[in-house]
Amino acid sequence: MQDKKLPWYSVVWAIVRKDALCELRSKYAFSALTMFALITLASISMSLAGATISSALAAALFWIILFFCAMAGLSRVFVQEQEAGTLFTLRLYANGQAVYWGKTLFNSLLLIALTVLVIPLFVILLNFTIPLWLELSVLLVLGDIGIATVSTLTALMVCRTGGKGALFTVITFPLLLPQFLMVIASTTRVFDGILPEVQDFVFMAGYDMTVLIATSILFDYLWYD
Amino acid sequence: MRRSFLSILGIFIWTVGVIYAVFTIVPPAEGLGNLVRIAFFHIPVAWVSVLAFLLSAVWAFQYLRTRKPEHDWRSSAAVSIGFAFCILATVSGATFAKLTWGAYWNWDPRQTTIFILLLIYGAYLALRSAIEDEEQKARIAAVYSLCSFITVPFLVFIIPRYYFSLHPAPVINSAARIEMDKIMLAVLIAALIACTAIFWQLLTYRVNSRQKREAAAISGEEGVKQ
Repeated sequence: MQDKKLPWYSVVWAIVRKDALCELRSKYAFSALTMFALITLASISMSLAGATISSALAAALFWIILFFCAMAGLSRVFVQEQEAGTLFTLRLYANGQAVYWGKTLFNSLLLIALTVLVIPLFVILLNFTIPLWLELSVLLVLGDIGIATVSTLTALMVCRTGGKGALFTVITFPLLLPQFLMVIASTTRVFDGILPEVQDFVFMAGYDMTVLIATSILFDYLWYD
Repeated sequence: MRRSFLSILGIFIWTVGVIYAVFTIVPPAEGLGNLVRIAFFHIPVAWVSVLAFLLSAVWAFQYLRTRKPEHDWRSSAAVSIGFAFCILATVSGATFAKLTWGAYWNWDPRQTTIFILLLIYGAYLALRSAIEDEEQKARIAAVYSLCSFITVPFLVFIIPRYYFSLHPAPVINSAARIEMDKIMLAVLIAALIACTAIFWQLLTYRVNSRQKREAAAISGEEGVKQ
């Protein structure tokens, strides 16, 4: 077993690198997600036709766009391995935890990259000014990590069902809902120019930590047959 | 067979007694009038839907630990029966809301919570129906059940902070004092017992019939081999 010789972080890093390399070669996930985000944003912006929207609505729209982008692309980490027939090889080479952390890290990075792209588009197309950049970035990163973590576990579940795409959204949404509600509420505050309370950040970080630990434990039950 | 017949009979008589008590003994409540009688259906049903969710997570954990299929049968039976109770709780709650607050649905914290419970139940059942292999189905469903069980407590923190509630305070409120007429409380407890017993009876029936089916399948296979 190769992972016995290598320290865990190099195995995790190898998986992230492998996924990033595949992504850079095909550019499928990122381009599809970007287009997806652009289409949703543009359709909202077009239908609004220059009308201003309240910050509560903007925050909800923003997270809905990100959530559905994530649902369109994040299941790929396992579904694609399943389709290519490499899932079994991956199981031979790396242990479950390394795969879990590698895939979660990759999903988080992908989602953060997407967020970085969506934010300027959001500002441009919806004619929106964002007053608190630092707080917003912390919020976005915490929210993205939550979505990426839960999606990694549910992606593995979905890949066992034969990649039924609609199911991915159905099973991920209820698990994400607590983070989703909190992140929307805090983003609304940030858009209004009010600092979110410290407890809000603690809540979001707490949710992220909890799901990271819980899904990493539960992942092994799915990974090994 | 005889035992199950007796328990069904017992539950039936008890439930009839509770229904009788709800419509004759319970006095109309202040401000709510006769509508309070809905609560004697709504509270027990809502309680069972939460209990079923909890039990399914416990059995899911047991399944992952021991890998005995019985635990999975119990867990999935708890979810499917819990789902039915959850729908009943949602419908009775919405009816009560329409009659007292004037709208079927207004995203009251309790409504949000029960809605999320419905979503989780629905997602669990959809996930199960999508997997063919029995062993994989059990394993993935158990992981999902546990994962949803872990995220639900977060809702308890967030929802009351951001949504204003019209829902009557729970029977035992935050001061841990029971503010209810004695007769009402007695009837409510009786109704809770009746509802839990019905749930348990349905659960045992489902698990037993599954057990019989599996046993028949195994003996059938042996018969073919011989």
